[in-house]
Amino acid sequence: MALISTAPATKNNLQEAIPTASVCPVCLKRIPAARVFYADEVYLEKTCPEHGFFKAIVWRGLPAYPSWMREKIPNHPTQPFHQPETGCPFDCGLCSAHRQEPCCVLLEVTQRCDLGCPICFASSSLAPSSDTDLSLVELWYKRMLQAGGPYNIQLSGGEPCLRDDLPEIIRMGKALGFDYFQVNTNGLRLAEDIDYLRQLKEAGLDVVYLQFDGTDDAIYQTIRGRAILQQKIKAVQNCAELQLGVILVPTIVPGVNDHDLGGILRFALQHQPAVKGIHFQPVAYFGRYPQPPRNEDRITLPELLSGMESQTEGLVHLEDFHPKGSENSYCSFTANYIIQPDGSLKPLREPEAGCDCHKPESAKEGVKRSRAFVAKHWTYQAPKTISSSNLSLGGWDEVLERARTHHFSISGMAFQDAWNLDLELLQDCCIAVAAPNGDLVPFCAYNLTNTHGQALYRPRP
Amino acid sequence: MSNPSLESLKGQWTCGKCGSLLEVASVNVSYLGSGYPVDLLVCKNCKRPLVPAELALGKMLEVEKLMEDK
Repeated sequence: MALISTAPATKNNLQEAIPTASVCPVCLKRIPAARVFYADEVYLEKTCPEHGFFKAIVWRGLPAYPSWMREKIPNHPTQPFHQPETGCPFDCGLCSAHRQEPCCVLLEVTQRCDLGCPICFASSSLAPSSDTDLSLVELWYKRMLQAGGPYNIQLSGGEPCLRDDLPEIIRMGKALGFDYFQVNTNGLRLAEDIDYLRQLKEAGLDVVYLQFDGTDDAIYQTIRGRAILQQKIKAVQNCAELQLGVILVPTIVPGVNDHDLGGILRFALQHQPAVKGIHFQPVAYFGRYPQPPRNEDRITLPELLSGMESQTEGLVHLEDFHPKGSENSYCSFTANYIIQPDGSLKPLREPEAGCDCHKPESAKEGVKRSRAFVAKHWTYQAPKTISSSNLSLGGWDEVLERARTHHFSISGMAFQDAWNLDLELLQDCCIAVAAPNGDLVPFCAYNLTNTHGQALYRPRP
Repeated sequence: MSNPSLESLKGQWTCGKCGSLLEVASVNVSYLGSGYPVDLLVCKNCKRPLVPAELALGKMLEVEKLMEDK
């Protein structure tokens, strides 16, 4: 699989690359594509008969691309809402050819937002109220149950915390059998309105999925258009006071905050036990981009890992990280740790030699594990003595108890845009967005836009 | 760390292979690169330990889930 090519993939040398499929960033027609290897870099290359050649970086450096493969036995939706007719990515909803069921479904409960981030994929604005009607929220819950749910729920937007009735939306889901809720928020309201945060917790919110791009206000000024670090810190403090877990979610933009990976990790560790982990998201280019994003405007997953290693003075290491068992291995990374009393991180590693890890794994088991993992570890855990057994398991007892209260995860997921979209990865996606018609559309398909900003699935604001 | 409940089981179990009575002994229990000594009932001849079902389905399962998550 370690193929080397020094020329763009053409009909003549396509055999030197790994073939896949993508779309034209201009017309969004499905076109053949290839992952092409140039030493330790991998590019997605494709040619539209009408709009020409496109080449986007997808992988730079170590761990080597071939080593990151974690092959899975597909887990097709048991109750697909669509059949493949036009072909991927035009039949999403999910269709029966999709290769994974959802782990988490995003419910966009409003299009209102109190920030106007240049990089927002949800096209949110300060426009007049466009909250999702509660009857549609109820339809979403019921459609998810039809599809095979319940799934983990992420309340998203817009800024979901602008809705006063968000606790009611959580209670509605709980009553219908949904167990796990996270809210994807900029944290502004949570910083200033702890009573609202308390209402969310009492309704059943499990974790605050907090946009947190860095530890310096210059970063927020560039990415979010405002200096809001103090509000982020206050939001974390309020969550800690109410014993509500927090996942820090940085969007990483080269040249803006890729120098602050270590700073973000140190901030997370300073805010224990409330901050349960970090979930990095390399910037993706959704919206209107007449010119293709430059390759230097992208940061790939291995660069995040090596950046973390070099910026944390031995706190984390490349070998701590592994691909996940739920989605396509090239979409994400994860590492899990126990925070030790001296502040160091003890990795909980995957099996290495002599294991079955190179055989294809069940994607169904992977997504089940992933849902259970998030529900267990992306949530606040108050200290208490474990009591599953009177029998001692020696030193393991301490590990189990420490892991409950001091488990820490570092993960990341690379979203795909019109330039780097690899349909093979999309078909393995386990993050879905509930569409206004009740369909469950894979995240990167839902947010896919062409160079004019026209979307395949997301309705116009 | 002693296992008081094991003391009550001592004398009740014999080794299926050699018939010897099991005795409490320290056994290194390792999984995915980490290991700790655990008191278990062990055959003094064959050295085979007995893992009580309560432990296997309880804390050992918790360890397995913890280490293999995601």
